[in-house]
Amino acid sequence: MNRPLPLGWLLAAVILVVVPAALWLFGSAYAARLAQLVLITALLAAALNLLIGTAGLLSLDTVVYYGFGAYLTAILSTNYGTTLPTEILAAAAAGALLGGLIGWPLVRLASIFFAVATMGLATIFHTTVLNWVDLTRGPMGYRGIPAFKLGEFTIDGWAGNYYVIAVVVLGGVWIVHRLTHSYYGNAMRAAREDEDCARAMGLSPHALKLQAYAVHASLMSVAGALYAHANNFLSPDNFVLLESGLTLTAVVVGGLGSLPGAFIGALVVVLVPELLRPLGNLRAFGFGMILFLSILFLPRGLWSEVSSLAFVRRHLFREGWLKR
Amino acid sequence: MFDSFVAGQLAIGASVGLTYALVAIGFTLIYRVLSAVNFAHGEVYTLGAFATLVAVTTLKAPPLAAVPLVIVVGLAAGLGIERVAFRPFRRFTDEASLKSRAVREATLLSSLALGIVGREAMDQVWHGQWLAIPQDKMLNQPVNLGGVMLSAGELAIAGLSLVLLVGLQWLLLRTRVGLEIRAVSSNLVGAQFSGIDINRVVLATFAVGSILGALAGMVVSLAYGSIQSSMGLTVVLKAFVAMVIGGLTSIPGAVVAGVLIGVAEGAASLWVASAWTEMVAYVLLIFTLIFFPRGLFRRRGA
Repeated sequence: MNRPLPLGWLLAAVILVVVPAALWLFGSAYAARLAQLVLITALLAAALNLLIGTAGLLSLDTVVYYGFGAYLTAILSTNYGTTLPTEILAAAAAGALLGGLIGWPLVRLASIFFAVATMGLATIFHTTVLNWVDLTRGPMGYRGIPAFKLGEFTIDGWAGNYYVIAVVVLGGVWIVHRLTHSYYGNAMRAAREDEDCARAMGLSPHALKLQAYAVHASLMSVAGALYAHANNFLSPDNFVLLESGLTLTAVVVGGLGSLPGAFIGALVVVLVPELLRPLGNLRAFGFGMILFLSILFLPRGLWSEVSSLAFVRRHLFREGWLKR
Repeated sequence: MFDSFVAGQLAIGASVGLTYALVAIGFTLIYRVLSAVNFAHGEVYTLGAFATLVAVTTLKAPPLAAVPLVIVVGLAAGLGIERVAFRPFRRFTDEASLKSRAVREATLLSSLALGIVGREAMDQVWHGQWLAIPQDKMLNQPVNLGGVMLSAGELAIAGLSLVLLVGLQWLLLRTRVGLEIRAVSSNLVGAQFSGIDINRVVLATFAVGSILGALAGMVVSLAYGSIQSSMGLTVVLKAFVAMVIGGLTSIPGAVVAGVLIGVAEGAASLWVASAWTEMVAYVLLIFTLIFFPRGLFRRRGA
């Protein structure tokens, strides 16, 4: 067997060295913003992939936890001047707690009932953010969120922002990677494919789904915390149902259940609308067409679950655990 | 304290709820046959409203003369949606793949994408503005119903949903096509073995469902008078919620649930600011699902 490619390090090198270098050489503030957005979307897509791709729960509630983390961070940092580690931990813990509480009754629901219930959650969240003016400043949006703070230092400028986001996103994706490419991930796949069968093997589908739901909520909430600082401004318009659809598109285009697919999908959903900007008003039209054609011609996404699992086994596990 | 204001709010809620119910009828019919969600249904509803507008303004027709045009538009839209967003995913004809999760999720997303495309196309044609049906063509004559004032349009919505519900039950239970539709929805492969042409039945279902959706768009636009390219989106989401609360496969259940949602919204507007009432339907949905995980009116054997 050939020496396996150190794929994880390669990805980290691209994100931490190649992209910043390219941005520094050729880039603009605009390109740097896009790069940050791609990374945040990749974390969202990875988290959603854990839930939809691996655990098999079709959900549309991305904006709930994403927005929850964003507003939590905005309120904490504006009112109490918190620093980055506190905010990430707070967002992760509060996201997991909220996800656990909401997920407890919801993950019992059968597929389509679950999807509709999460769709309802997204709308409830948007209405709440829009109308709870005392807490979220309502439709005017939350302005003037301070920059990232690490201890005494304030991180500003695009490079600092980019590195903070890159490191946290890589950490989050690493967690999803470890969860999905393990026996634990296989247990989730088993529960996804056949609940009764999984139960017969001593697995608890409800517990597995609830855990997947809480982890996804926690990671999305962290992504929201990053977004709040990177953008300095939050508006309820950032957290409408359509944004959930965008993350779902990233997962579907990239390939359900495939982690490399999450990055590819994030690139597609962030960059394609930007490339379509010259189309003006036809932008959303073009976007719908791309979504439709990709479902029609690439039913397994750009990088399917099966080939992604095989790829990861070949390149990341020196002693392939399948061989044992 | 049952005064006329409260009664009025509840009546408005009920008539809005009947709008959801009207859309939910066609939506549920399509779901029953294919177990697939047709998110493009809202765009059929919008198309119906625009066809009415064209009929009464450009063609100067009286409101009721718009019916044939709306039916044709609905029929064409339904057949088109089936052909473009659903047929390509029925690649194999064995039961496992026809009812598989992959196909269901693919058609859910493809119809969603087609809905976005359709909505944006209509946005281009009508420039995303609110368009108004001329006052004299609207069904807005006031009707006094035991102290509660309603408009003729609201009564028309109620009447049409009743007629469509009864008509649909008649179609499903008393005609050959209805028998075939029921056969396909209960056992796809069995229906195929008895010589039923699946593609034809699915097309018929989409045709009927979409005509109902377009008629709903017509009567609602005549009753409320304003039309916009994204009007179908909120309504189809509410219809979806109504279908789920009603138990997914029961058409009368979806109608009852639609009215229930409307009345709940009307009742909620008595206590909270109107901006909050948008979430009433979804709160109702989540509480219903927690206590009745399979909806309120589940058909026997389904």
